[in-house]
Amino acid sequence: MRHRLDADPVAQVAWAVSALLWIPQAWFAASLIAGLLQQSSTQDMTTKLALFALLGGVRVGLDHFAQTRLVRDARRSVATLRQDLLNREAGRSPSDDARPDSGALAALLTEKLDMLIPALTRYQPAMMRVRTVPPVILVLALWHSWAVGLVLLVAGPLIPVFQALVGMAAKQASAQQLEEVSTLNTMLLDRLRALPDLRLLGAVGRMTEDFRLRADALRERSMRVLRLAFLSSTVLELFSAIGVAMVAVYVGFLLLGQIDFGYWASPLNATEGIWLLMLAPAFFEPLRELAAAWHDKAAAEAVNDELDVLQAGEFLPLPGGTGRAPALQGPAHIRTRSLGVQLADHRIVFPDLDIPPGARVALTGPSGSGKSTLLACLAALRTPDHGTIEVAGHVLDPATAAAWRARLGWLPQDVHFLNRSLLGNLLLNGRKVDDPTLQSALQKAQADRIVARLPHGLHTRLGETGVGVSGGEARRLLIARLWLSQADVILADEPTADLDRITADAVTDALLDLSASGRTLIVATHDAALADRMDRVVSLDGGVG
Amino acid sequence: MRWLWRIYRLLWRSDRVAMRRGLALSVAVLVAGAALLGLSGWFITAAAGAGLIGMGAVFDVFRPSAGVRFLALGRTAARYGERVLTHDATLRALANLRVRLLAGIAARPWRQLTRMRGSQTLNRIVADVDALDGVMLRLAIPFLAGASTLGLGLMVLAWLVAPVVALWVVAVLGLGGAAGLGMAARRSRRAARRAEAAMQALRTRSMDMMRAKTDLAMLGVLDRAQADFHNAANRMEAARAEVDRAEHRAALALGLSALLAATGALGLGASLTQSGTLTPAQAALGFFAALALAEIFGPLRRGMADLGRMTDAARRVGRQLDTATVSHDPADVEGDASHTRLSLQDVGWQDNNACAPVISDVTLELGPGDMVVLTGPSGCGKSTILHLAAGLLHPTEGHALLDGRNLADWNEMELRARTGLLAQRSVLTRGTVASILRVAKPEASDEEMRAVLDAVALWPVLARRGGLQAELAETGTGLSGGETRRLALARVLIRRPAILLLDEPTTGLDPATACAVLDGVRTICPDSAILLASHSPVETEWARAAGGSIISIGKG
Repeated sequence: MRHRLDADPVAQVAWAVSALLWIPQAWFAASLIAGLLQQSSTQDMTTKLALFALLGGVRVGLDHFAQTRLVRDARRSVATLRQDLLNREAGRSPSDDARPDSGALAALLTEKLDMLIPALTRYQPAMMRVRTVPPVILVLALWHSWAVGLVLLVAGPLIPVFQALVGMAAKQASAQQLEEVSTLNTMLLDRLRALPDLRLLGAVGRMTEDFRLRADALRERSMRVLRLAFLSSTVLELFSAIGVAMVAVYVGFLLLGQIDFGYWASPLNATEGIWLLMLAPAFFEPLRELAAAWHDKAAAEAVNDELDVLQAGEFLPLPGGTGRAPALQGPAHIRTRSLGVQLADHRIVFPDLDIPPGARVALTGPSGSGKSTLLACLAALRTPDHGTIEVAGHVLDPATAAAWRARLGWLPQDVHFLNRSLLGNLLLNGRKVDDPTLQSALQKAQADRIVARLPHGLHTRLGETGVGVSGGEARRLLIARLWLSQADVILADEPTADLDRITADAVTDALLDLSASGRTLIVATHDAALADRMDRVVSLDGGVG
Repeated sequence: MRWLWRIYRLLWRSDRVAMRRGLALSVAVLVAGAALLGLSGWFITAAAGAGLIGMGAVFDVFRPSAGVRFLALGRTAARYGERVLTHDATLRALANLRVRLLAGIAARPWRQLTRMRGSQTLNRIVADVDALDGVMLRLAIPFLAGASTLGLGLMVLAWLVAPVVALWVVAVLGLGGAAGLGMAARRSRRAARRAEAAMQALRTRSMDMMRAKTDLAMLGVLDRAQADFHNAANRMEAARAEVDRAEHRAALALGLSALLAATGALGLGASLTQSGTLTPAQAALGFFAALALAEIFGPLRRGMADLGRMTDAARRVGRQLDTATVSHDPADVEGDASHTRLSLQDVGWQDNNACAPVISDVTLELGPGDMVVLTGPSGCGKSTILHLAAGLLHPTEGHALLDGRNLADWNEMELRARTGLLAQRSVLTRGTVASILRVAKPEASDEEMRAVLDAVALWPVLARRGGLQAELAETGTGLSGGETRRLALARVLIRRPAILLLDEPTTGLDPATACAVLDGVRTICPDSAILLASHSPVETEWARAAGGSIISIGKG
C-alpha cells in the first residue's frame, strides 16, 4: 500500500506551461498598445490581437486539460488507496489487538483520505509554477532592465522568507484554530449527548446560556489567532502590490525621461515597458497560489503520518482470508495439542482440549487468562503461535480455516447489528427462508416477543441509525440467527455478561435448546450459573476440571 | 437551495452591520485591484506617449504615481479589514447558530431526543455547522461583491474609457460568469448529493464491517461486505466525476469569458483609438481593467466547488432548527414535596406501529413519603412506566395525573421541578464533579453537594481524587460504571424532587453498597414519593423493609 502520492507529471507541466505562455501573450498585447502610440497599421494590430486571443485560448485549453487530468488522476490514486486500505483491514484478524478503532478507521477511509486530493490538485501544481514561472520572468526582466529585475529580485526572495514565516504562523494559527473549533465542537457534542439528561434536570435553558457565553469566549480567542494569520498573509500581498506599483512607477518615469537609469544599452521602449508591467503580477501570482494551498499540504501530511503509523503497526492476518469456502466435511471433533499464544506482554499456554461433536464446554478463568483468545483460535480467527488444532479430522491452517468457519456460529459479547432491517440482519448470509422457519427460529430463541414490540416488526431498521434493543434482546435475536444458520459448532463469548439473572437464564436456556439439537456449544464465561449447566468446565488458570 | 437561502438570511441577520461593512470592503478590494492595474496601464501608456513627443517634462507624474501607491496600500489594507470583519461576523453567526441548534434539538419530543443520542447523527450535525461557514465567506459575499464590482466597473469604464468598451467587458464577464457558475451549480447539485450519500454509506459500511467482522467471517460473507464497500466507493467516484466535470466546464467558461472580455476590450479600444475617439492610454486602461475584473471569479469558484456540500449541510441543520415544541423558559416554581401526588389510572402504552402494547392496565398511586417498587424481567415495561410518570411519554390508554392534572397539560419546567428521573442510561457532562452537580442545581453549596455524594456512598471515592474539584473526562470516564451511575443519582437527588423515579438505581453495586445508597436516597429526600423499577432482590428487599409496596409487571 503506497500512500505517498505524486501529482500527474504531464498535467503539472501543462499547468506550468500555461502560466509561461502568458509571457508571449502579454508581449502581443503590449506591442499592440504601443502600436497605438505610433499609429501602426490596422493589419499589424489585427494580427497581434489574433495572436493574443490565440495564445489566450491555448492557455485556457491547457488549464482545462491540466485541471481535468490532475483531478482525475488524484481521485484515482486516492480511490486505489482507499480500496487497498479497506482490503488490508478487512483481512486483519478481529482478535488483533493492534487493530484501529472502527470509528477512526471509518473517518480515515472517508473524509481523511480525501484530504490527500487538494495536495495533489493544488499544492503540487502550484509548487511546479513557483519553480518555473518567477525565475523565467526574473531573467527576462533582468535582461531588459536591471532596475525592474532588482525590484522583483528584492520583493521575490523576500516573499519566500515571508512565505516561510507566513507558513509557520499560518500552520500554527490554523492548528490552534482547528483546536479551538474542535473544542467548541466537542463542547457542543458533549451537550448534545447529555441533552436528555439536561432536560430531565430542567437545565436546558441554563445550559444554553452557559454554552452561549463559552462559545463567545472561544470565538474571541479564534479571532485573535485569525487576525495574526491574516496579518501574515497581508504582508505577502503587500509585497506583491508594492512590487507591481514600483515597476509601474519606475517604467512610467523612465518612459517620460524623468529618470535615466536601470537599463543596459538603451532605455525601455513602450512595448517593453507595458510588457514588464504585465509580467509583474504574473511574477507574484504563483507565490500567492502556493500560499493559498499551504494548508492543503499540511492536512495531507497529517493524513500521511496517520497512514504511516497504521502501516508500521503489527498486523495479525485473518487465517484463510475473507472469502467463502464450502463447509469442511466430517464430524465436528475438536482437538488441540500444546496450544499457546504470545500476547503483547505475556505468553499463554492452554490445556489440551478434546471436544466431541455435541459437547457443551465452558471455558472459565479470570480476566486475562485467555478465554477469548482461545475461543478466537478455535474459531479460526487467529493462528496460534504454538501447537496444533485439529478440527473434523483436518489440521486447522490457513487452507482449511475458511471451510471450518463455515461450520461455526458465533455469539459475541458486544452485539453489533448492521445498518439494515432486523430481517436483513437475521439472514446475513443472503439465504432465503420461508416464514414458518423464521417464526420457529424466533420462538425457539424466545425472541418473538421482542420482534412484536419493535415499531416495524421484522422490517425495523437496526444499527447505528435505527432502533436500539437491549443487550439481552440482542443476544436472543442472534440466537435466532444461529437457529437459521447451518452452523453445528456454536462459540459464545461471555453470552450472559451484563445481564440480570432472569434475562441471563433466558439466554442460557435458549443456548442450551440450541445445543440440544446436536450442536456443539463452547462458551467462554465468568458466569458460574452458566458454567454449571455445561457438561464440562475447562478452567484456564490451571488444569482441566 | 431553499435551505441555503434560509441559512444565508440567518447568518446575514445575526450581524447586519458587520456583514455590510465586510461586503463593502470586499468590493473595495476588487475595485482597488482593477483600479491599480488600470491606472498603471494608463500611466505607462500615457507616459510613453508623452515621452515620444518630448512632453515628458510637463507630464503630471505626481497624481498617477501617488494613486498607484495609494491603491497598492489601500487594497492590502482593505483585504485585511474585509477578512477580519467577515470572519468575525461569520464566527459570531455560527456561534449563534450552534446555540439555536442546541435549543431546537432540546425541544424535540422525548423519544426523538433519546434516539439521537450517541449516534453518528450528532457528529454529523456538528460537522455540518462547520461546513456552513462557506455560505457567507465563499459564496454570498464573493457573489455580492463581484456583482457590485461589475456594476461599478460598468459606470467607471463608461465614464473614463467608452460606453461600448464598458458594456462589452461587464456583459461578457457577467453573463459568462453567471452562465458558467449557474450551470455548474445546477449540474453538480444532484451528483454532489449522491456523492455525499455514498460517502455516508462508506462510513456505515466500514463501521459495520469492522464491528461485526467475526459474524461476517463465520457466515463467509466478509468478502461480500468488502464488495459492498467498493460498490459504494465506485458510486461515490462516479458521482464525484460528474461534479468535477461540471466544475471543469464552469472553469472553462470562466476562463474563456475572461479572455473574451480582455480581447474585446483590447480590440475595441484599438479601433476606437484609430478612429480618434480614445487616446491610447484610455484604451490601455480599458484593457487592463478587463484583465483585473476577471479576478472576481477566483473566490466564487472555490465556493461553487463546495456548493453541494453546503446545500446538504444547510438542509440538515435547517431541519434541526425547526419545530420547537417544548419551552424551556425557566418557570418560577419550587417542587413542594409535602403535597404532590402522582396517580396512574389503568395506564397503557403502545408504540405507533407495534402490534402489541408494551404495558397495559397499570394503576398506582403515590403520595409524599410513599414508595412503590416495580419488578419484572428486563423488557417488561418498567422503564416505560417511569417515562409515563415523568410525562416524557403520554399514555395511549388510561390517565396519568400529577396533582389531579393531566401530565400532558403541565408546563415542562414545572414538571421537571417536581419530578426527578434517573433513567437507565445517563450521560454526564464534562467538567468537575461540582460542575456536574451544579448542572442540576446551580446554587448548590459545597456542603450540600458533599451531603448528597455521601448519601450515594461516592464521597470516599471522590475524596481521593480531589473531591468536588475532581475533573471527569468524556461521559464520566475516570469513574467505574457503578460510580458514574451513583454520580448521576446524586445529580437527581440534589434537586430533592417531590416525585423520585429511579430506574434500577443500584445496578452494578454489591449488596452492602446498594443498601447504603438506598438508605442515603431516603435520608436526602425523606418526603419524596419514590417509584423504583428494579430487578435486583436487594432493592426489593430494602423497599419491603422500608414499608414500600411491590408491583409485579409482565408475565415473566
